[in-house]
Order: sequence, then C-alpha cells, then structure tokens
Amino acid sequence: MTKRAMATLRIQEQGRLRKLRNVSTVARRTSLLVVACVASTLVVQPSAQRATSPAQAPAERPDLQGIWQVLNTAAWDIQDHAGGRFPGLPARFSVPAGQGVVEGNDIPYMPWALEQKRKNYENRMTADPEAQCYLPGVPRIAYMPYPFQIFQLPDRVVILYEYLHTIREIFTDGSGHPDLPVEFWMGDSRGRWEGNSLVVDVRLFTDQTWFDRAGNFHSEQLHVIERYTRTGPDHLQYEVTIEDPKVFTRPWKMQMPMYRRHESNSQILEFECYAYAREGSDATTK
Amino acid sequence: MHVKEVMRRRSDLRRLLLVVGTVLAAIFLSQSPAAQAPSACPGESSLFHPCALGRAKSYQPPRTPDGKPDLQGFWRGVPSGTENVEEHPKTDDDDGGKSLIVDPADGRIPYQPWAKGRQAENRGTYIEPNVPCFPSGVPRSLYVPTQIEILQSPGYVLILFERAHTYRIIPTTPQPHVGSSIAMWMGDSRGKWESNTLVVDVTNQNGKTWFDQAGNFHSARAVMTERFTLIDSNTIHYQVTIDDPSIYTRAWTMAFPMRRNTQKGFRLLEEACHEGERNTDPLIRAGQQIYPGISADK
Repeated sequence: MTKRAMATLRIQEQGRLRKLRNVSTVARRTSLLVVACVASTLVVQPSAQRATSPAQAPAERPDLQGIWQVLNTAAWDIQDHAGGRFPGLPARFSVPAGQGVVEGNDIPYMPWALEQKRKNYENRMTADPEAQCYLPGVPRIAYMPYPFQIFQLPDRVVILYEYLHTIREIFTDGSGHPDLPVEFWMGDSRGRWEGNSLVVDVRLFTDQTWFDRAGNFHSEQLHVIERYTRTGPDHLQYEVTIEDPKVFTRPWKMQMPMYRRHESNSQILEFECYAYAREGSDATTK
Repeated sequence: MHVKEVMRRRSDLRRLLLVVGTVLAAIFLSQSPAAQAPSACPGESSLFHPCALGRAKSYQPPRTPDGKPDLQGFWRGVPSGTENVEEHPKTDDDDGGKSLIVDPADGRIPYQPWAKGRQAENRGTYIEPNVPCFPSGVPRSLYVPTQIEILQSPGYVLILFERAHTYRIIPTTPQPHVGSSIAMWMGDSRGKWESNTLVVDVTNQNGKTWFDQAGNFHSARAVMTERFTLIDSNTIHYQVTIDDPSIYTRAWTMAFPMRRNTQKGFRLLEEACHEGERNTDPLIRAGQQIYPGISADK
C-alpha cells in the first residue's frame, strides 16, 4: 500500500464518518466496523459540555468496586407483567411474573410509539436485538441476568460486563461527550461524583437497542442519566432517567437495587452469545 | 463460482482489515517518535528478544501509587502475527512478515506430525475464527491489528481490546484458577509481579481460537505463560510460552514488542464487530464450517 493510497483511504473513511447520521440504518450497520476503526484514529476533542467541578480526590468518592448483579425480572419486562409462556421457548423457560422497575409503571410513549411498542411485543421472539446477540445498550445491560465488575480509576470508572465482554469506560475527568457525528451501541458515558453517588450522562446512541424483551424501545435521541448510589456494604441503588423527545412525551425513571456477588470465588466469566449462536445446526441463522 | 466469489470477498475483507491496520500502524508510528528512536530495540522478534532481555535488566519503570510497574496506556503488538506467527511471504492475501517465535530457534511451531497436517486442514476446512468476530483469545489478542489499553487497579491488571470489544481481568493476588470444566474464549488469567515483570498464567481455554489466519492452533489444554516487561518508556517486551503436550513436541515461545501509542486524547472506541458482520453466512453456505475447536477431554 502506497502512502498516497493510505491517505486517500483515510480521507474517504473520515468522510463516511461525517456522513454517518445521513445514511440508512443498514448501510450504517455495515460500516460500523470500519467507522469504529477509523474513528479510533481520531483524537476525540472534548466538547463544550464540560463539567463545572474538577476531578475530585479518590478519598472523597464512594467505593462502588466489586462484582454486582440485579435480582429482578426487568430483563424480561421493565413494567409489571404476568408470568407466561415466551413464544418459541419450552415451558420451563417461561417468563417469570414480575413487578416493574418503572416509577409509576407507565411509560409515556407518544401514540405512534405506543403502537410500535405493541408491534415489537408481538414480534419479540425475532425482533428483539438480543435475539441477534447485539450489544444491548444502556440501561438494558445493567439489568440483564449476568454479573458485572466495577473498577474505579483516578480519571474514570470502568464497568466490565460478563454479557458479550461489553466494556464501558465512564470518564470522570470533567470531559464532555465527543463532538463527533458518531453513534455507539453502548452510548458515550461521562460521569461525575455527587455525594455518595456516581452520576453518568450517556448520549450518542443508535436506535437499534431495546430496553427489555417486551419491546420497550427508544430512538437515537435517547439520553440516559444513571445514578449509582452505595446504600450499604453489599448494595447499590441504581436509578435511571430516560429522555427521548422523539419517542416519549416526558422523561421517566426506573430504579432497582444491585446486589454484591458474595461467593468467595466470584469472578466474571463469559457469556459469548453470538458465538453460541454459531454452535450446532442453526449456525447460519444467527 | 459462488465459492470463488465468497473467497474473493473474504480476501477483500482481509485486505481491508490489513489496510486499516496498516493505516493505524502508520499513523501511530508517525506520531510516536520515541518508538522509532535509534535506541529502541529492533522490531523483528529474533533481534528484539535478546535486545529486550538486556534492556530489562537495567530499565527502571515508572510505578503506580501502590508501587507496581506502571504498564498503563495504549499499546499495539506486531500485526503481521495475525496473518501467520511463523515467517511468511507477501502474497495477495498477506503483507508477509518474520516469525514471532524465538524458541525454537528455527522460528517454527514444534507440532507433532499429525498436528502439522491438521494446521493445513484448518485453513481449508474452517472459517477463520476471527471472521465471525469471535474473541481472538490469548495470545492472538495481543498482536491482532487493534488498539490495546492496559489499566491497573490495586490487585488487578485490566487489558481492554478494541477489536470486537473483549477484555481480560487479571487478578494479581493469589487465587486458584476456575474449575477445569469452565472453558472460555479468553481463558482464565492469574497474574503476579516478579520484580519488574507481570507474569500471567492462562488456563481454561476453549481450544476454539487460532493463533493466526494460517490455522495455527492449540487445544483447550494449552497453558500459556505470559511475561510483560517495560524495557523503555514506550516499549513492552511481551513473551508468551505455550505448553500443550497434546499438540506440540515441546513448549515454545513467542516474543515481540508492544509499542506505546502516545497520541494525546486517544481513547478506545466501540468496535461493534458482530453487529455488522456479513461474511460468515456466505462462507457457511459455500461449505466452510465453524471451527469446532479441540476440547480438553478429546
């Protein structure tokens, strides 16, 4: 490869990156790999949305470190729901009844969006992005039935999830979201410490992820504010505010506790969903 | 013709990945003058390894607040290894490169006779496990063309890989490996500090990862022993010894430099690899198979 050819490629790919928002979903998805590779060569400029307070000393911060997991049925449905058969699954894999994690239980969908949610529910066996083993987005990753481990470093909080080896780096250095026309399956996370809590602002999402297996969904305008509060030696309280002016008439909230995994040998293993999808006779069906 | 088409596409994909990798490498090298400083050990493994062993004796690395050598930052291995860890020529598919193997001295994997045949068969029969975006495993993750970030927290070394978003959590406090029935794409890592070197034992492999696109392989019984040593501010001497008596006649060792990416403001981004992946299904329809791996009980 000549230097000139390499330079041309880089310019072309940067152009594609800039146009990312304008291309169709399908094209965007096929170009994500390349875009991610190219975007990784760009210096991410902190935007104007700088937090006002400088990075605090570690001593002032609550300790959120450890291996945690939720213990609820939000992965199935974030709202109140009856138990029952999940289409296509044997009875022993039925949906457990559950009390919702949405404040007031109602999700303020716009009329068109409520209709879309109903369709999603009808088609949930195949339409759910989880059925394709795609990255699940935020906040869904937090209440999937797999553990995750939180590490606190001076300038960031790193959360490593067992599901799909998903990585979240939550920068707490006062930097803002990147000023790049790019979308992430897991969004871009910027955090700050507030008293006993870590507050995380997450933006720059795709419109490709759902909130649960019941079809609750959002658009690319999703804005998530997470609050992780240490409420005891073995508990975090997790509160999430959801905003999406394209889908909801107002912001709404979820909350749930997260529990420390107390096994003496607890550690994050692997749940490599899309690799499992390639095992056996349905290897081409994904 | 269908097969040909698929092969061409696969070849195109490889070429694109290599091009992107080459661009990344070129950009990185152009912005990391220290990595090219005349005093740096040469990149070719057979020359780098003895040079790095010498440097490691005198170099005093910076330390983390808890007193451990500070390996943190962004790094890249030697990307030609992902084509073939052995010496290989430049072809339509490959850029070519020298062997990463420093022991045995001939730079070849010491396969048992049956296993040498299996390597050739792998390449013809099975889909290269990185095509469906499977985790690259250990040690391939360290030299696949990608960005690597090392972070340290008391009691842990974390290695994050941009490629298909994988990571390794390496505890550096003594604890036993997980039970032998637990097989994992990235294995089970246990680290300890020996002087200035991070030594990591990796067990519990699933035997489904390859060393490279050439089908070089190991079984789930493989035990990898890695050594990470800073030899100057921008170079890690990485060594890995692979022991798997079911496949090889003896343990063997790769060594290569991991060079620091010093670009300011750099961060890992999300490579949603599987989410846009379209090469695997056509290969399966063309008759290629998902590599089943060699499990520990075979």
